[in-house]
Amino acid sequence: MVTKIEAGSQDSQPLQRPCKKCNNQEATLTSRTEPVCKDCFTQYIYLKCVRHIGLLGKETQGPYGSQPTRRYLLGLSLGTSSTILLHILNSYVEAALSKGRKSPLDLDIIVVDTSVSEQDEALQATLDAYRQRYPRLTFEVLPLTSVLGISSIDWTALPSLKQDQSPAQQLADLFERLPSTTSRADILRLFIRHILIHTALSRSCQAVLLGHSTTALAELTLAETAKGRGFSLPWQINDGVLPIEDFSPDPDNAPADKKRTIRVHHPLRELFRQELVTYTTLTEPPLTDIIPAEDVVNKASPVVSHRDLSIEEVVLRYFADVEVNYPSIVANVVKTTAKLDRLDAEERCGVCGMTLDELGDERWKGEIGDSGGGEEGAGSLCYGCERSVRG
Amino acid sequence: MHTPGRCFISIFEDEVHHTISSSKLFFPGEKVAIGASGGKDSTVLASVLKTLNERHNYGLDLVLLSIDEGIKGYRDDSLETVKWNAIQYEMPLKVVGYDELYGWTMDQVVETIGKKGNCTYCGVFRRQALDRGAKMLGIKHVVTGHNADDVAETILMNLLRGDLARLSRSTSIVTGDATSDVKRSKPLKYSYEKEIVLYAYHKKLDYFSTECIYSPEAFRGSARSLIKNLERVRPTAILDIVRSGEDMARLVPVNTAKSCACKGDVAPAVVAAEEDGLGGCGSSNGRSSGNEMAAMEKQLRQNEAAEGLEVDVSKQMLPQAQRDKENVKTLPIRGVSANPKILGKQTLGNCERCGYMSSQAICQACMLLEGLNKNRPQIQI
Ligand SMILES: [Zn+2]
Ligand SMILES: [Zn+2]
Repeated sequence: MVTKIEAGSQDSQPLQRPCKKCNNQEATLTSRTEPVCKDCFTQYIYLKCVRHIGLLGKETQGPYGSQPTRRYLLGLSLGTSSTILLHILNSYVEAALSKGRKSPLDLDIIVVDTSVSEQDEALQATLDAYRQRYPRLTFEVLPLTSVLGISSIDWTALPSLKQDQSPAQQLADLFERLPSTTSRADILRLFIRHILIHTALSRSCQAVLLGHSTTALAELTLAETAKGRGFSLPWQINDGVLPIEDFSPDPDNAPADKKRTIRVHHPLRELFRQELVTYTTLTEPPLTDIIPAEDVVNKASPVVSHRDLSIEEVVLRYFADVEVNYPSIVANVVKTTAKLDRLDAEERCGVCGMTLDELGDERWKGEIGDSGGGEEGAGSLCYGCERSVRG
Repeated sequence: MHTPGRCFISIFEDEVHHTISSSKLFFPGEKVAIGASGGKDSTVLASVLKTLNERHNYGLDLVLLSIDEGIKGYRDDSLETVKWNAIQYEMPLKVVGYDELYGWTMDQVVETIGKKGNCTYCGVFRRQALDRGAKMLGIKHVVTGHNADDVAETILMNLLRGDLARLSRSTSIVTGDATSDVKRSKPLKYSYEKEIVLYAYHKKLDYFSTECIYSPEAFRGSARSLIKNLERVRPTAILDIVRSGEDMARLVPVNTAKSCACKGDVAPAVVAAEEDGLGGCGSSNGRSSGNEMAAMEKQLRQNEAAEGLEVDVSKQMLPQAQRDKENVKTLPIRGVSANPKILGKQTLGNCERCGYMSSQAICQACMLLEGLNKNRPQIQI
């Protein structure tokens, strides 16, 4: 635990602005409108995350007497949130180890390299800094091209790949044929997700951990609503077990158990982006030392043109404004969406993997008079993926 | 959008006809009131309905219904436009005033309560005015000019407000059921605002550009600017939001218990001054006094403080294990939610006094009227 309350202020000097939580130190920060000290603030962030991990631990408990070690995959985007998730989980494990206990969990830390190029020097330099900071941990880099052929995607539903080209060229070509910047950003996001889930499944990890803050989940909610994926929102926003479809063309090669599932969790889901940004400056040494500048990370995805804005970016700008004045409204968007039912069905979308909404599709086609795409005998896509792939 | 000119006109008309016939909005011989404000949406609606009624033999008896809030000089121009529309489209026009409906004009309301907060009255009164007006005329169906942009705006607004009940209601093309006296529908629900402007332009329709003198309420204004930005990035985003909203409406858990929604849950913090953005003081607005978003922020923080910040993590996580098993449903069967929480979905009944749809025993308008009428004697002295 991070109970390193440093001697406090033993001197008899009365505090100018005592921390609302410990009443023992000078408040230098504001957390949810309350003045708090640095220690209480970092403790608050730490505990929010660790509680989630503790509860996830209970849910991923094996049968009685089995190996108690949990194995989770952490998707590291090298941004603020996922770096903090990594940092806190590392502290959590080290706290257990220092008490002579067993490690409560094993982490597979995966960075998806979206540069689609030979060698990304900026990425290498960044990873070196992470490795130096967390020498006990292993950081693995998977290229975006590793998505090619993944069985959780129905490749017949996407623009056909040029098999005679190199994997990097195939991918670049596929992205080029998508209709817009929003489509490319959307498919890129889904591909990264598929790589993480696929890797977790192949290594028998029990969960994929993502760094999304409340703010990020609220953005995802509005962006997915704007992309027509309202139906699968509760599946995307909530934590829990996700069924993963297998679209392998040859069923004999497919795993015997076609009903695969994986947990996807967001342990930082109750923290605001701004709180996390503050946190990066408060650790010793500050996490800002290793987190790369945003343009370094963004630059790394040339498959998405940055001349035009994507829907994600529009929503991001919008919430950046709203969060300043109305943080609770941001949080409420996520809570509201979480209340929606999750409907499940046999059929899944070939690109995002979410439940297909046949009822909704039928109704929509009836009302709009949409004949529907479905070129080249392609697989079934949800409304949002249909839009992303075919415009 | 598509091809300009004549071609566009017929495509647009076909689209609206498709919506009308697939949703079975009308029956032959039905008497239908078109809520007419003189603005572009209702003018286009009147024009299209007249055309389609003749072309496809709907057999509708169409009437223009206008509401006069009783603000001196305010409605003059728009009422002139509606009167001209009535002549052009050879439709009877009925103008109903707030004084006839409520016994109060807006000018009288302002005299009584002052300028502050009068938008609340105007908004609440307006929401019912068309229904009450139609009822006075013995008409059971009112159509309004809400377009896809309006619906998308309302969906985002209610998402920001955390009001799933309203989100759910705002997406349906028809509101009001067999139990309510007046049915409401929006035949232009799937038409982009841009298409409506274009249609009015190509058909050379006369409409009154109703720019409201008040700024729209905070949530609607916020949602509107977001929608405009989304549309710029991907023009279909508006209809994509409508699609999302319709689907999400089907995911709103069915409320089995009738108890208060505010218990143990974040209740919709602010009662909307208006339901679905039907224009009144000009465009779609109905500003409540003060900042709605700030008010909601405050209430949400209070709720959070009451729940206890620290409890909240486990509270959200623990039912998750059950939710994984129970709350996942199989299509298309829709049962009762396994989620023990009670959602703020109001069960709509009817107001004891006026009979209008209401979640309370007495509707908002009647409540406001009660307050006003108490004040009346003093004022008249
Ligand atoms: Zn403190
Ligand atoms: Zn999809």
